[in-house]
Amino acid sequence: MTPAPETSEGAVLGGALVEARGLWKTYPMPAGPVDALRGADIRIGRGEYVAVTGPSGCGKSTLLHILGCVDSPSRGTLHFEGRPVAGLPDSERSRLRLTRIGFVFQRFYLVPMLTAWENVEIVQSEAGAGKAARRERTAELLDFVGLSDRAGHRPSQLSGGEMQRVAIARALANRPSLLLADEPTGELDEETGEQIASLFGRLHAAGTSLVVVTHNPALAERAGRRLSMRGGRILEEGA
Amino acid sequence: MKRIPGILLAFVIAARSAAGLAEAPGTGVPSILVTRQLAEARHLSTGDVVRLSNDPSGKDPRTFRIAGVYEPVPDPMRLTAKRWEARMHLGDLLGMTADPADPAAAEEVSAIHLASRNRTDLPRLQRAIAARAPGVLVAASDLPEGADPFRVLERFHVAISIVAVFGSTAFLLALMVIRAEERREVAGILRLVGFPRGKILRQVLVEGIAVAGAGAVFGVVLAMATQGIVNAFFQWHYDTALVFVRVTPGLAVQCVLVAVPLGAVAGFVASWSLLRREVVDLLRR
Amino acid sequence: MSPAAFALRSLGRDPVRAALGIAGIAIVGALLLDMLLLSRGLLVSFGDLLESTGFEVRVTATDALPGMGPPIEEGNEALRKIAALPEADEAVAVRFGEGCVRLASGRERGVGVFAIGFNRRKEWTILERDDLPAPNAGPGASEVPSLLASRTFASEAGLRPGDRVKLRPGSPGDESVLPATEFRVAGIASFPFDGEGSRTAAMGLPSFSAAHLGGDRPRGADPGGEADLLLVSLRPGESPEGAVAAIRRVAPGLRVFSIEEFLARFGRTDFSYFRQISAALAGITGFFVFLLVATLLTVSVNQRLGEVAALRALGFSRRRVASDLVAESALLVGAGAALSVPLGLALARVLDGILRTMPGLPERLHFFVATPRAFLLHALILGGAALLAAAWPIGLAARLPIAATLRKELVG
Repeated sequence: MTPAPETSEGAVLGGALVEARGLWKTYPMPAGPVDALRGADIRIGRGEYVAVTGPSGCGKSTLLHILGCVDSPSRGTLHFEGRPVAGLPDSERSRLRLTRIGFVFQRFYLVPMLTAWENVEIVQSEAGAGKAARRERTAELLDFVGLSDRAGHRPSQLSGGEMQRVAIARALANRPSLLLADEPTGELDEETGEQIASLFGRLHAAGTSLVVVTHNPALAERAGRRLSMRGGRILEEGA
Repeated sequence: MKRIPGILLAFVIAARSAAGLAEAPGTGVPSILVTRQLAEARHLSTGDVVRLSNDPSGKDPRTFRIAGVYEPVPDPMRLTAKRWEARMHLGDLLGMTADPADPAAAEEVSAIHLASRNRTDLPRLQRAIAARAPGVLVAASDLPEGADPFRVLERFHVAISIVAVFGSTAFLLALMVIRAEERREVAGILRLVGFPRGKILRQVLVEGIAVAGAGAVFGVVLAMATQGIVNAFFQWHYDTALVFVRVTPGLAVQCVLVAVPLGAVAGFVASWSLLRREVVDLLRR
Repeated sequence: MSPAAFALRSLGRDPVRAALGIAGIAIVGALLLDMLLLSRGLLVSFGDLLESTGFEVRVTATDALPGMGPPIEEGNEALRKIAALPEADEAVAVRFGEGCVRLASGRERGVGVFAIGFNRRKEWTILERDDLPAPNAGPGASEVPSLLASRTFASEAGLRPGDRVKLRPGSPGDESVLPATEFRVAGIASFPFDGEGSRTAAMGLPSFSAAHLGGDRPRGADPGGEADLLLVSLRPGESPEGAVAAIRRVAPGLRVFSIEEFLARFGRTDFSYFRQISAALAGITGFFVFLLVATLLTVSVNQRLGEVAALRALGFSRRRVASDLVAESALLVGAGAALSVPLGLALARVLDGILRTMPGLPERLHFFVATPRAFLLHALILGGAALLAAAWPIGLAARLPIAATLRKELVG
């Protein structure tokens, strides 16, 4: 097994990577507003592996989207690497997501007309990486996830587990400080889910900070911290 | 007879008076009718007294009273010509234009228009007139087939319509392909549970005919609504009463007969290309 | 990966849809090009025809078309004054008339006649044998007046160069006391303003007057001094506008036109129908392209909202998403536009062939003429349509709520 690739901050540094206080998220609905998050507080340190569990509709994905600057809270504060996110324009938030945060989705969301190689490479070229650097990094990542021999295949030619591994490689392409995963094994069988869990374990061992929303016990067990949510609130923490 | 300048072209009517065209009572001033276009351009109205001359310099004008304003019969062959025209009695016109030194000038006319009782007997009538008045050119009013510019324009418009139909068909097929693709999963499920291809295709055909029919009717209604706008614009632009666009029942039926089969066939072809695939392919994400 | 490369891949994921879209744009784009060729084609072609005669300025008695209105009385005097102007190189008088020829079968056929003063320029193209002889050609010159016959006139009357033919004044069926005049066919020529199948004869002014081919003329006037049209060619370096102003000074009361003024008048009147219809159809086809591309792109974006949301979540900026869509639109329209040019040119030949069957049109007149302006407008309209068409789908994609879209994709 190849060693985990570098991420942006290999050593565990002091200070929180992500700090959120009093997060509320309210969705206006025809039948009345719905509070998906109700005053959630969360702090993610560098090098931490946090699993977020809870029943469907408890606000896990909403929390992840806010932490990943994909969505904005209705109320509350969010700091990423000590910098407030709230007032940032969309272009800067996009840049943050591109270079500092990696996202893995339940449905993979690979670009269907690009090969595995191109899916990993495209986010690097968008970040401005040079050709040689992109080539080296892409090869490293595909090797890490065990798909070097499938680099030229399109998503339609890959299995679910293989697609998710490509998605993980893509999320790591720009050496993010934080990797967020929303039900990464939700569409996979148990065995494949275990492979993904193992991959996350290796990433954490190499120093990557991870926040994973999951129903999968194998994935949750490997986390250093477990947060359980219910009704939009973070109820408890477990180790 | 002096050639009449175009701007003062006068229509000569028959010896009998037309309605409203008579000497104004008690004045001795002969009456004329003027076209609406001339009246608007020169701010004339019924009752005005005007002077007309056969000479561009205005030499030897004669006085006439405007008895009325009329809309000239639109002539597509003279679409861009300014219809500044006046109608007067033949005698008044001859008095204005004939050379007094020429005794025969008072008897000259440019043309005699005849309305026959029996249109099918025109050739015999033409021969009879030519025999009684040799040297007179006798011609029917209809243009010979090859000499009608509007037949040419009709062919031109039909050619453009054919090209437009081809372009629309490509667009239509693209939309039908998109629609078929959107229903790929549904089609796959139906096939999976046992629906035969033919049954699904028949449903698609019925749906296609309904949608194409509604679209064709909408198109005809839209054309009928916009024909007024088109006519209004061109009538204003050319200052004419000519009708440029007319959606006739025959034309509407023609359009529907072209559009409905095209739409139905396009939907059928798009769906058939999808249903030819294996069930597994239809259900694959 | 550049937006163009990404767009190419996007189009390639559904090649049938892309091909149909490109085909639709190509066909409609061809029609658009043809309407742009038509909008000024007639004027350009007519202008070329006028310029081919070598005369830059025309003079008539009234605003009526040459030969349709009254003649220029004292035309010789006007000609003399114009020819004396420093701007003028040559000035010639032209007369129009009608003649009648009796064929071997006994039937009579009308012949359009025009007579022109001798000049250095060639208003016609000699197809067989000789041109008209110069006046005072010297000993041996034929005492029988000469004419040039059009191809149709010559073939219908069975004429060869050197043959004799009699032309009488008037139209077939006219009763005229004026005798027919015998002419010698000097040659067979093609005349620039002749329609297909036109019977035309050209001759010198003295022959025309002597044969009384000018039709009705007022008694007492000097038929030999009249002209239906004066043609003026300019010295090198002289501007038509300057020459027109100079001629108007020496011949007030006459109508003087440069070719440009003549064409502007035609553009406002006789040719205006084609300009109107080409403008209307160009607008409709441009709108059609916009509609087609906008529909295809919008549907495409709607079908991959999840993918777009994921790319946005990964850090793709709005500008990048917009660039991808603009590139996709540009590729669709660009490919369609490239195909539309040869298609449009081929279609223009067909449409031109249809319109040229109109009776009485000069054979060399074309309705569809390729000009740089038409191609430039074609590119601008299609380019504008491509940009506008991308606007709505760009708005959809760039402004989609990322989280809500991802959630909806999961649920849906």
